[in-house]
Amino acid sequence: MSVRSPTVREGKLRSLQPTKPFAYARASDTAFEMEQMKPVRFLKYAVIIIALLLTLAPVYWMITISFKREVDQFALPPKWFVFTPTLEHYADAFINRSFGQYLFNSLFVAVASTICALVIGTLAAYALARFRLPWNLDRKLALWILSTRMFPAIVTAVPLFLIMRAVWLVNTRVSLIIVYTGLNLPFVVWMMRGFFAEVPRDLEEAAMVDGDSRMGAFWRVVLPLVAPGLAATAVFCLIVSWNEFLFALVLTQTDDAMTLPVGIAGRVTQYGIKWGAMSAAAVVAMVPILVFALSVQRYLVRGLSLGAVKG
Amino acid sequence: MSSVDSKKGVGDWVSGVGSDRTIAYLLIAPTIAVLLALTIYPLIYSIKVSFESSSGTATLQNFTRLFTDQFFLSALSHTFVYAAIALTVEFLLGLGLALLLDSQIRARNVWRTMLLVPMMLPPVVVGVVWRLMLNSNFGAVNGTLKSFGVNADALTWTASPKLAMASVIIADVWQWTPFMFLILLAGLQAIPREPYEAALVDGSTAWQTFRHVTLPLLKPAILIALLLRTMELLRVFDHIFILTEGGPGLATETLGLYIYRTAFRFSNFGYAAAMSFVLLLITNIISAGYIRLLQTRET
Amino acid sequence: MKSTRFVFAIIAVIALAVSGCQRSGTQDTRTLTLAINSGVEGDALKQAAKDYEQQTGIHINIAEFPYANLFEKELIDLNARTGAYDLIMLDDPWFPKFASLNVLTDLMPLLQKRGKSGPDDDFVATSIALGREPYQTGALYALPYVGNSQLFFYRKDLFQKHNLKEPATWDDVLAAAKTISENETNGAPGGGKVYGYVMRAAQGNAAVADFMPIFWAFGGEMFDGAGQPTVNSPEGIAALKFMIELGKYSPPGYASFNADEVGAHLLQGTAAMSINWPAWISSFSDASKSKVIGRMEFGQLPAAKNPGRAEIGNWLIAIPRDAKNIEAAMDFLLWVTQREQMKLSAQRGNPPTRKSLFTDPEMVAKFPSYPAQLRSLESSRPRPRTPLWNEIENAFGIYLSKANSGELTAEDAMNQANAEIKRIVERGQ
Repeated sequence: MSVRSPTVREGKLRSLQPTKPFAYARASDTAFEMEQMKPVRFLKYAVIIIALLLTLAPVYWMITISFKREVDQFALPPKWFVFTPTLEHYADAFINRSFGQYLFNSLFVAVASTICALVIGTLAAYALARFRLPWNLDRKLALWILSTRMFPAIVTAVPLFLIMRAVWLVNTRVSLIIVYTGLNLPFVVWMMRGFFAEVPRDLEEAAMVDGDSRMGAFWRVVLPLVAPGLAATAVFCLIVSWNEFLFALVLTQTDDAMTLPVGIAGRVTQYGIKWGAMSAAAVVAMVPILVFALSVQRYLVRGLSLGAVKG
Repeated sequence: MSSVDSKKGVGDWVSGVGSDRTIAYLLIAPTIAVLLALTIYPLIYSIKVSFESSSGTATLQNFTRLFTDQFFLSALSHTFVYAAIALTVEFLLGLGLALLLDSQIRARNVWRTMLLVPMMLPPVVVGVVWRLMLNSNFGAVNGTLKSFGVNADALTWTASPKLAMASVIIADVWQWTPFMFLILLAGLQAIPREPYEAALVDGSTAWQTFRHVTLPLLKPAILIALLLRTMELLRVFDHIFILTEGGPGLATETLGLYIYRTAFRFSNFGYAAAMSFVLLLITNIISAGYIRLLQTRET
Repeated sequence: MKSTRFVFAIIAVIALAVSGCQRSGTQDTRTLTLAINSGVEGDALKQAAKDYEQQTGIHINIAEFPYANLFEKELIDLNARTGAYDLIMLDDPWFPKFASLNVLTDLMPLLQKRGKSGPDDDFVATSIALGREPYQTGALYALPYVGNSQLFFYRKDLFQKHNLKEPATWDDVLAAAKTISENETNGAPGGGKVYGYVMRAAQGNAAVADFMPIFWAFGGEMFDGAGQPTVNSPEGIAALKFMIELGKYSPPGYASFNADEVGAHLLQGTAAMSINWPAWISSFSDASKSKVIGRMEFGQLPAAKNPGRAEIGNWLIAIPRDAKNIEAAMDFLLWVTQREQMKLSAQRGNPPTRKSLFTDPEMVAKFPSYPAQLRSLESSRPRPRTPLWNEIENAFGIYLSKANSGELTAEDAMNQANAEIKRIVERGQ
């Protein structure tokens, strides 16, 4: 990427008093790290450890709840480590209730809608990044695409239900795939537009001089270069589709199409919440997305550093 | 930047050879088609019902009611309070963590990975987790405070009119600070090294470098992160629905909850749609502000 | 052109991917679909459905939703006339809404077709009345499946210890709550304070359900004969003041309690009295949940100016007007509400709606609280029967919750609630 001149004016910096080098700045040489004072380094790790505790303790707590008997779940003082483990809540979720089916529905819907959104959205993003259209249409379209995310889902849910009923798609996984594709498209377009803008045009032009068509060049030259971006975008789409609750609630009617979040919320009963079964289901809902997201998070961060920043 | 590159080959890329432009339209068409199908009908439907009374006659009562409805006005102010506090806290914590992990640190990827966990959880689950943690009698938070000898009896969290808002904000901050952190960290790592080296040579302090080098270069990432979060915060629904259902009283009832209740429980879609237009208008105004700020950078 | 072909290829792939996903929810006459509540009532119906499948070969699909979403779900689907469900479970306060929309099947013709002149006389009168529109006298649209009505829960061991009698009036309750709160500062199992009383005053259903028995006993009425709200009558305000007074002996934060917090307090032995639903009774003898096994007693709602009356909260089963299999649905409905099936449901923990089961010696031996439950059910009252109840309950609950959390005085809360309910009623006309 091209480097913009920092907004710092040289004169202004020079006039400042020279002091110790800053602690956090990005300097690559290890000598610099050695210079860092021990207390500063200690403090840094201490802050990180505290942040990690605050981040992970609630998740850990939920996991323990899923393995605790009801009498231990609300014990005082809280039983963080020592309790009699049980699998009864998992058995309840997967044998007595249809969480296996919900899991399958969630996987199917999330993967299919992510693929659809990526294919459709990437093409549009490429066009918006590469072609200038008359009347500034490319820019206006990009903004319009983003603005479709602003309308509250709560209100679109009912009319969408009516549409799906008209085309006999209520209570099908297809209806969720269509809606989630629409939900993810704006994000895909914006992310991918940023990545495409990063790819120098010279590469495509060279390929086209060598006899490739425009789309051939896109396919063979540009797409491989934005692969990390595609991976990052895919993770986001998967997370959104996997976690979505409201549309899934409104558009599904039976186990045939219900997804995990609907199943989890279903454990809130009139007389209280089945904490154990709900936590067990939540753990099951958490694990696949976590494994996937963490395994590609290398791309996630790299992707964002290009896509989001370029916007 | 694309603006620089695009000067080259203006002839065939910008004004467009006929076939190129056809390709462009063909490529964009599916996206436009899907989004139109999924937004135009809902929009028309919402406009139509918002001008209808419960018996189906044309009326403006859904819009005039907005100004006199105490529940709506309080939901609106709660939404602003919620969004403003959560956004500020998430931004400051996210920026702090991003700066920390951008500095010289061992096992950075391990820390980063673990810090990202909350944003991947279904919001429904996050609501449950925090309802569990914050329960004033059996929750882990008060239980832990008590085992350290703190008298936590008065901390009733979701039950107290004063702490309920704090409780729902805590859950939001917990889940979404990682998102802020991720984008800001990505932004920081994309900043080239040269300006820092220049600043180092100039002997500026940490604060000066941060203020005059890091912040300006991070501005686009900051604005994107704030824009995305603001849009989500203004229509927040899932966690609050599970944590407090808007209570006690109306203490945590945001616009998202009130619209939901009006539409689904009271089946008054007209009024829900009218409120949604207010929410849409607010979101648009704020987003336009961010986008303008973003674009001033590019000119 | 190569590039256009590429675009078409992509479109074809998407089309294939979409059409490849199977359509589900195909219906035939050998299939019934039930919308049920996620919880003990729904579980019983689910078990019964399995038995029915085995006996008749009819396939039964179950759609299970949490209490908070079930109503919304059913309303959307019935209103849109999707015919997705052949039978729906509904909580009785929702019934007037469905009846007013005319989306349920009239059961009388179906009964007559089967040679019956009406529903079984064995159903408790207050329960069968709920499924009629207008109330008690009109056409029959639903049969009662679970016969809940509120009971007064109290810890008999603590009452004996402090020489207290089963409270007959709300003043007795207040006095007992004071005694227990003051003396049992360390009496909970595992240490800690026992609160004299515990109630739920979270906005919405919870606060209203716990307030109504007090409100009625104090002589309050929600509406006058002309349908105008009268919650801010002197009786109503006195009742709310009393509720707040009782709240002083309730655990901190009760103004946002729902059923689960109340249940947890009672099961952990940290609260001594409560108004609650019979569904909780079986938990008290379950060692994996309860620390107060054998110490809880279940009595009638206390009186004040008026005799104590419980709020009724029955689960009904109805057949949507657009159901695909009305006849098969009716056969199932009659089968599942007959005596033998309801006995099985009762053994799974749901109070029946048939008198003969409440008095069945075998059942009374198993559920000693049955005589008390029948008395409560027979003298119970329904919530005001209006299609606007959800909205009214929401508004009323908000002000009750605000008064209990100290945000508003009892007078202000009741006056504001009255004004708000009045607006709701006027809008609904």
